Amino acid sequence: MSGTNGKIRHIHDLLVNKKITCKELTEKYIDKIKESKLNAYVHTCEDLAIKTAEKVDEKISSGKEISMLEGIPMNLKDNISTDGIETTCCSKMLQGYKPIYDATVWKKLKGDNAVLLGKANMDEFAMGSSCENSCFGGACNPHNLKHVAGGSSGGVASAVGGNIAVYGLGSDTGGSIRQPASFCGLVGLKPTYGSVSRYGLIAFGSSLDQIGPIASNVEDVAIVYDSISGYDTKDSTSSKVAPNDTFNHLNDDIKGMKIGIPKEYFDGINEDVKNAIDEAIDAYKSMGAEIEYFDLPELKYTLPVYYIIACAEASSNLGRYDGIRYGYKTKQYKDIEEMICKTRSEGFGEEVKRRILLGTYVLSSGYYDAYYKKAQNLRGTIIKAFKRAYEKFDVILAPTVPTTAFEFNFTSMDPVQTYLTDICTVPVNIAGLPAVSLPCGFDSKDLPIGMQLIGNSFSEDKILNLAYKYEQYTEAKYLKELDMGVRL
Amino acid sequence: MKYELVSGLETHVELSTKTKIFCSCRTDFGGEPNTHCCPICIGLPGTLPKLNKEVVRYAIMAGLATNCEINLISKMDRKNYVYPDLPKAYQISQYDLPLCKNGYIQLDSGKKIRIARIHIEEDAGKLVHKGGDVYVDYNRGGVPLIEIVTQPDIRSSEEAREYVEKLQLIMRYIGVSDCKMQEGSMRCDVNISVRPEGSEEFGTRTEIKNMNSLTFMTKAMEYEKNRQIELIENGGKVEQETLRYIESSGTTESMRGKEDAHDYRYFREPDLVTIHTLSEEVENIRKSLPELPTARIKKYIEKFGISEKDAESIVKYKNISDFFEKAIQGIENPKIVSNFIIGQIFSTLNNEQEKESFDIKVSAESLNELCKLVESKKINVGLAKSTLLKMLETGKNVSNFISQEDMQSISEEKLLEICKKAVDSNPNAVKDYLSGKEKALKVLIGFVMKETKGKVDALNTQKNILDTIKNI
Amino acid sequence: MVTKEDIIKLAKLGKLYLTEEELDSAVKDMTNIIGFANEISKVDTGDTEFDNINGLENALREDIVEESFDEDLILKNVDGGKDGFFYIKKYQN
Repeated sequence: MSGTNGKIRHIHDLLVNKKITCKELTEKYIDKIKESKLNAYVHTCEDLAIKTAEKVDEKISSGKEISMLEGIPMNLKDNISTDGIETTCCSKMLQGYKPIYDATVWKKLKGDNAVLLGKANMDEFAMGSSCENSCFGGACNPHNLKHVAGGSSGGVASAVGGNIAVYGLGSDTGGSIRQPASFCGLVGLKPTYGSVSRYGLIAFGSSLDQIGPIASNVEDVAIVYDSISGYDTKDSTSSKVAPNDTFNHLNDDIKGMKIGIPKEYFDGINEDVKNAIDEAIDAYKSMGAEIEYFDLPELKYTLPVYYIIACAEASSNLGRYDGIRYGYKTKQYKDIEEMICKTRSEGFGEEVKRRILLGTYVLSSGYYDAYYKKAQNLRGTIIKAFKRAYEKFDVILAPTVPTTAFEFNFTSMDPVQTYLTDICTVPVNIAGLPAVSLPCGFDSKDLPIGMQLIGNSFSEDKILNLAYKYEQYTEAKYLKELDMGVRL
Repeated sequence: MKYELVSGLETHVELSTKTKIFCSCRTDFGGEPNTHCCPICIGLPGTLPKLNKEVVRYAIMAGLATNCEINLISKMDRKNYVYPDLPKAYQISQYDLPLCKNGYIQLDSGKKIRIARIHIEEDAGKLVHKGGDVYVDYNRGGVPLIEIVTQPDIRSSEEAREYVEKLQLIMRYIGVSDCKMQEGSMRCDVNISVRPEGSEEFGTRTEIKNMNSLTFMTKAMEYEKNRQIELIENGGKVEQETLRYIESSGTTESMRGKEDAHDYRYFREPDLVTIHTLSEEVENIRKSLPELPTARIKKYIEKFGISEKDAESIVKYKNISDFFEKAIQGIENPKIVSNFIIGQIFSTLNNEQEKESFDIKVSAESLNELCKLVESKKINVGLAKSTLLKMLETGKNVSNFISQEDMQSISEEKLLEICKKAVDSNPNAVKDYLSGKEKALKVLIGFVMKETKGKVDALNTQKNILDTIKNI
Repeated sequence: MVTKEDIIKLAKLGKLYLTEEELDSAVKDMTNIIGFANEISKVDTGDTEFDNINGLENALREDIVEESFDEDLILKNVDGGKDGFFYIKKYQN
C-alpha cells in the first residue's frame, strides 16, 4: 500500500470491488488478535463484529452504497461506553461492568456499521503514560515488544501499529492519544475541547478530556475525525463550530503558512528527537511554509497546573465508585462505610489512589486558593498566551514527547519524574487546543519519533492539512508498516 | 439572665418541573422504586448533566417573588461527599454565584426576614432502612430543588413558623412548588444559637436537619433553645454540631460534631457551562409573575371592602383564593362571595388539611351563579345560605334546589298583595302588634317568606306589612 | 510539607483505607508532588479568570419528559437488585 492513500480508503475499495468480503476481512483480524502477543485488547466482541460484517456484506451484495467507515475493523479504548459490552477502564473497580447506553462517538460509528473488534488496553482510568497501570498488564509497542506502547491509550496504538485494527478511538487528557501514537509510529489527533462529544467517555479530567482517533496515516485520521466530530446535545461543553470536513482540506496549499516553534518545548529533549524535529522543520521550509521560533514562557507552569486540575477533577469524578450500583464490591465488611472504603481501596490501583489523594488535597479547605484556584487562574493565563501566539502563527510545531518509547518497568519510582514526561503534551489540554501527532523519524534503536502540530481552536482542518502535506512530502517514509497482524 | 434566640433557616423546596434538573426523567412523587431513572440520574460512568431551562426560570421566579436580586452570570458547582443516596458522590449545586441573592420576606409585624441567597441544586435519592440493610431508590435523585437561605434574622419559633408559612404560600402562588412538607417537597434546616438579650455577638450555633413539619420545627426550636440556655446557665458551652430531631421524645440528638464537619471541596462543575441570563429575560419573568399573596390581601381589603381577617383567611390557601377569584366574576360586591366562603364553605372544612386540599363539591361557577341570584335580589341571603349548604352536601347545582319559577323575582304589586294576605290571615298577630308587641311582626313576615319561598327581602317586606296595617 | 495526619484526613475524605506502608509512601509522594505544584504559588496571575474552554453559555434543555429506562436495565449491573432497589446488606462475613 502506498503511503499517499489511506488504509481506510484502500480497504473500502477492496470491499466495494468485492476483492474480499467484510466477513473474511473481520475474521482475519479476529484470528490475528487471537495470535497477538501485544496485549492490546482487553475485551473482544467477535459475535458483534461478525454480525456487523455480515450486514455490510449484504448491503454490498445487494448493490447498496456503503460509507467510508462501513465494515472497517476498529477498536475503542476501554473507557468509551459500549452498551452491553464490558467497559472497565482497565480497573479492577469496573470489572464486569456493562454499560446500558452507548457513548455518542460509538453510537455514530455503530450507525455507520463500523466493525468493533474489541476494547483496547489503557492505563487504569487513563492515568499513566505507559499503559502499565492497566489491571490487565501493559500493552506492547509493536516496533519492539520490550518497549511500552505508551499511554494512556496504549492498547489502541499497539493494535493499530500491530495491524490488528485499522483505527481506534482513544482519549487524551494530557497526551494520552498523541504520546502512544508517537511511540508506535502512528498519527493521533487530540481534537479541540468541545469538537467531539464526551458523552459516554468515562471521565478522568472533565475539562481536559477529549476523544480522538489514532490511525496509521493522516487521511484515515481525517476520515474518522469527520465522522465523530460535531455538536451533541447531551454534552453541554460540546461546540457547534467544530469542523467536520477536514478530509476535503487535506490537500490545501500550505505555502505561506506561518509555523511558530516555541523554544521551551526543546528543553531537555532527546537528541534523536531534536534532530528529527529539525528535519521536519526543514521539510516545511522547503514546502514554502514560514518558520519562526518564539518564546512561550507560560509553558513552564503547565505541568503543575495540569496535575492540579486533572487530579482535582479526577478525585471528584472517581467518588462514585462505591460498590453500590455497578462494578467491584468488596467481599467482607462490617458496615456500609467499611464496604465503601474497602471497595475503593481494593478496586483502585496505586496511581489512581495517588491522584485521588492529590486532587482531594488541592480542593480541601485551606488549600483551595493556593492550588486549585491558582491553577485555574494560570490556566486562563496560558490560554491567553496561546491565543496571542495564534494572532501570529497558523500552527505551532513541537515534539510530541521528549523521548521515544521506554522499556517496560522503566518509569521512575518517583511520580514527579514520570509526570515530567508529559511536558510537551499537556499544554494543549490546558488550553483546549487541537493537536495532531505524526511520525517524523526513528531513533538509533529504530523506535518511532513523533512531532505534533498544534492549532488554534477548531482548526483541525488546518493541522491535518499540514500533517498530510508533510506525509506526502516525505513520501510516507516514516509510516512503517510492520510485518505483523493483517496485511492487505 | 434572659436569653434571645437567634436563628436562620435553610429551606429546600422541590420544584414542580416536569423533568429532573439534569435529565429528562419525570419528577412525579412516588412510583415503583428506580422506575424514574436513567443512566444520568443514577450516575453511570461517562454520563453528563444537561441543565433544565425551566429550573432556571422557576428559581428566578422564586427570587423575584421574594424580592431578590438576580445574578445575571451564574454557574454550577460540585459539592463533594460520599453517601449511598448520592450516585455521583457529588451534588451539583451552586456555591459562590447563586441565581438569586439579597431578598426578604416581610412578616405581619412588618419585620423583614432577609434572604441571603437562593440557589438551584439536585435532590438525592431515598434510602429505605430495613433491619440494618439499606435499600436505595433513585427516583427522587436529580429532582430539582431550590435552597432558600435566610440571614440569622429570626428571633422566635413563631417568627420561624410565620416565615416558612409565608414562603410556602409565595411558592404555591407562583406555582413553582406544591411545598408539601409531609411529602418532603419542602424541608427546613434550622440554625439555632442563643445569646443574652441585648448582646450583639452571636453564640455558637447548632443546626437541626431536615424538619418536615411546622409543628415539629417549632417544637424542635423551643427544645433546642432551652437546651442551649440550660447548658450555658450550668457553665457549659454549646458545641457546634449537626443535630436531628427525635419526634417521639421531642429532643435533639447529635448527627456529627464540628470535627466531622464535611469538607465539601466545592469547585466549578466542569461538565456545565455558564448560566447567562439577560436582564430583559428577568423583566419578562417579573411581568409574568402571578399576583402574590400580599397583593391579593391588599386588593381584597381595599378594593372589595373585605375585612382584613377574612381576606387573610382566604388568601392563606391558594386553592381557596383562586376559587374566590373565579367565583367573583361579574359580581359587583365580592363580599357576598367571601361571606359564603368564610361562613358556609368553611363550616364544612374541619381542619387545615381540608382547607389546603379544598376538595369541595361546589364549583366556583356554581357559587357564582348563586351569588348572582342574591345580587339581583331574586333570592334573599337566608335562602342562598341554606341552598349553598345543600349544594355542598350533594354536589348539585342551584337549579336543583330553586326552581325557575322561584327565580322569577316577585314584583312590588305581588309583594303588596301577599302582605295584605298575611295581614288578613293573621288578625291576632296584627292585634298583638298594634297593642305594642313588636315581635308579632315576625309572624307576619314569616308568612310572606313562606308564601314567596324566601325570595323577597325581609326589610322590604316589613315596610309593606306596616303600610298595609296602617291602611286598615 | 505534607504530614501523615494530612494524608489520613485526605484518605478519609476520599474514602480510602491506606496501609501503614501506603501511608508512608503517600507522605513522601505527596510531599514531592506538592513541592512541584508549589512552583505556581509564587506566580502573580493578576485577574485572569477561567470559566470554561470555549466560553460557552446557557447549554440548556427543554423541560420535556423522555421515557425512563426499564428498571431491570437500571439494576442490570447489580444482578437485578432486590425488590426493585439497589441493595446493601448491613454486613458481609
